[in-house]
Amino acid sequence: MGIVLEKLPGITKGLPGGELFLTTADNIIEYARKTSLWPMTFGLACCAIEMMASYASRFDFDRFGVIPRPSPRQADVMIVAGTVCKKMAEPILEIYHQMPEPRFVISMGSCANCGGPYYDSYSVLKGVDRIVPVDVYIAGCPPRPEALQYAVVKLQEKMQKMRTISIAGASLQQEHGSRDILSTAPNNEPLISPEIGPRIEIG
Amino acid sequence: MNIETAEAAKEPRGVKTDTLFINLGPQHPSTHGVLRIGLTIEGEVITKAVPDVGYLHRGTSKLAEVRGYHHCVVLTDRWDYVSAMPNNLVFCLAAEKLMALKVPPRADSLRVIMCELNRIASHLLFFGTYGIDTGAITPFLYAFREREMVLDLFEMVCGARLTYNYIRIGGVMVDIGDDWVAKTREFLEYFKPRLDEYDTLLTYNPIFLARTQGIGTIPKEQAINWGLSGANLRASGVNYDVRKADPYSGYDQYQFDIPLGKTGSCWERYFCRVSEIRQSVRIVEQALDKLAPGPVMATGVAKVPKPQPGEAYAHVEASRGDLGIYLVADGQASPYRMHVKAPSFINLAILQEILAGRKVADVIAVLGSIDIVLGEVDR
Amino acid sequence: MTQDELLSKLASKLPRLEKASAQVKDYLTMRLPSADELVPTAKLLKEDLGFDYLEMISATDWLGAVKPEGYIRNPNPNIFLAEGATPQSIPTATPGFNYHPAFELVWTFASIADRVRFFLRLEIPRDNPRVPTLTGLFKAADWQERELFDLMGILFDGHPNLIKILTPDFTQGHPLRKDYVHIKDKYDE
Repeated sequence: MGIVLEKLPGITKGLPGGELFLTTADNIIEYARKTSLWPMTFGLACCAIEMMASYASRFDFDRFGVIPRPSPRQADVMIVAGTVCKKMAEPILEIYHQMPEPRFVISMGSCANCGGPYYDSYSVLKGVDRIVPVDVYIAGCPPRPEALQYAVVKLQEKMQKMRTISIAGASLQQEHGSRDILSTAPNNEPLISPEIGPRIEIG
Repeated sequence: MNIETAEAAKEPRGVKTDTLFINLGPQHPSTHGVLRIGLTIEGEVITKAVPDVGYLHRGTSKLAEVRGYHHCVVLTDRWDYVSAMPNNLVFCLAAEKLMALKVPPRADSLRVIMCELNRIASHLLFFGTYGIDTGAITPFLYAFREREMVLDLFEMVCGARLTYNYIRIGGVMVDIGDDWVAKTREFLEYFKPRLDEYDTLLTYNPIFLARTQGIGTIPKEQAINWGLSGANLRASGVNYDVRKADPYSGYDQYQFDIPLGKTGSCWERYFCRVSEIRQSVRIVEQALDKLAPGPVMATGVAKVPKPQPGEAYAHVEASRGDLGIYLVADGQASPYRMHVKAPSFINLAILQEILAGRKVADVIAVLGSIDIVLGEVDR
Repeated sequence: MTQDELLSKLASKLPRLEKASAQVKDYLTMRLPSADELVPTAKLLKEDLGFDYLEMISATDWLGAVKPEGYIRNPNPNIFLAEGATPQSIPTATPGFNYHPAFELVWTFASIADRVRFFLRLEIPRDNPRVPTLTGLFKAADWQERELFDLMGILFDGHPNLIKILTPDFTQGHPLRKDYVHIKDKYDE
């Protein structure tokens, strides 16, 4: 508890014994969320090797509380590491909708940002942001592991600024589920999720 | 005895199972990329396995038809992104044949050094990920410790960790720095004892042996018929290595052995690769010894090369096998046709044959031992 | 084994093969007169002459210069380029070069014991691109022929599973043909 009291931003007030403190729910939720950011192991191409290097001995991503999860159901953030081909676009959308909210996407490398060296290829999607909303873009081909770690720090900054319970009511996804929104889309355009900011009601 | 029990008595004894279809991938923690395998299983036993590729098809051959020859080298980096130096090399060899260029000897030695260092880095990645595939996390951390040192050497020489674009048409991009040779020797001295550590860590580990020995065997004739190459072919006992069979870049001047297996099981494929690391260390040491001063780029390489119409084929022993390039020129600044004979693509095809009849738990062990890179499978 | 020795060895067993006019640099290249003789030739090569390793199957479309419509042009406008300029130049046809409407297939047969390889070429008409499959003799041909079918549109008669392998189902046409025109799908702008 001592660590939380020292580091928790916002108004905290310790009571004798340090057993109780006061803060806003936003602060405590976002603090917990950002310091245990679990990405999904989702390597597509070259950038995945650098992503693996980030998890391995020298760069040691565990220091940030970043521990890779093999299942989208347990993950907070999807690191799209590599070229997104049109054949792979559908599975990516599927996996994105399998992740629980709030979910975040890091687009790693030039290919995922805009197509990169394959900007005129017939089979490459020109940027993953055409199918899923992206929170952080990393430039580079491939970006260094340090760049990925910087992106995670940036994402943590963003998460700390979010306000979870300011908006009343559940989001569309929470009421209907992502798949229903997908199926009720007016046309068959690749659907960008309508809810980019998280809106969670805490009872 | 009533009628129902009499019916049941006619059933064969044992557990009754249903046929089940399982999708392995395209998102799966152990598929080494975006590969999908459609598995039809009967209880624990696989009856049919259909690999489905193309989730990383980027159309490199089509793009090469509008890129200049120097620009194509950039595309080659991204086929087998784990070992990009041999990819650079094979394209440059084919283009040099078309342009009738003579590479200076120092550039040849540097190419050999870089390719062999890259083979070490690539096999280290295989060593680490194969450990994870079979349930051992620790070798991954050790392998990446040494892999980062190799990548540091590459970074010193060309500034990139993964996609180098270092080997250029006519030679190499830039000469090595003054202290690079000393640093490389220092690394090799550090690295050699580590190989024995790996053996104690994984190679002779009883659990690892139980998971891999005698699993996924490929007989000699089958390996040749399916066109396998690299360590997959040699683990089946076929003595075929492009570095010996069709030498390029002066490989015939170096002393090295070809590790061979006997039955082509998963463990032998693994052990062939680990033994190749030792041979690569030997080659790098010899190449460093005979590195003579001189130019590193041929004279007369055009900024926009327009070779005479003709066709050329070059192939090298890349980390995953026999990587070939078939280039057709029609006198323009771009290749008229570029065909990549990708070893991973051809090696992967045998999966449909060797997986049938095996248990579900062996799928990942067999897939990992074939050591594919999806960037090269799909191109 | 030198190229001449290999040539005389092949000529003694396979008199119908002739040395091709266009040679692949540094390797012996032979020409197959017609598609019907492919399977008997390959069978003889495999069983009598020891060419047991099918290294590569490739094909070239000799129609002419590649069409710019096969590429997705200029999706990310480059602000550093001059007005109206394109980020790359599309190659044009070389004057005097023998373009003709045909596909040319190239097989590489290698002998592991003798450590030699040679190339076999065969020209087929563009409007009816059919050749017999080699999957019965060499399993290595399986996926390579499927790749050529997918990207080049060459039909391999007798192939057990001739379906798309690399491109997604909604891609229309065969991208490596020189007259391929990209049809916009749901992921393009």
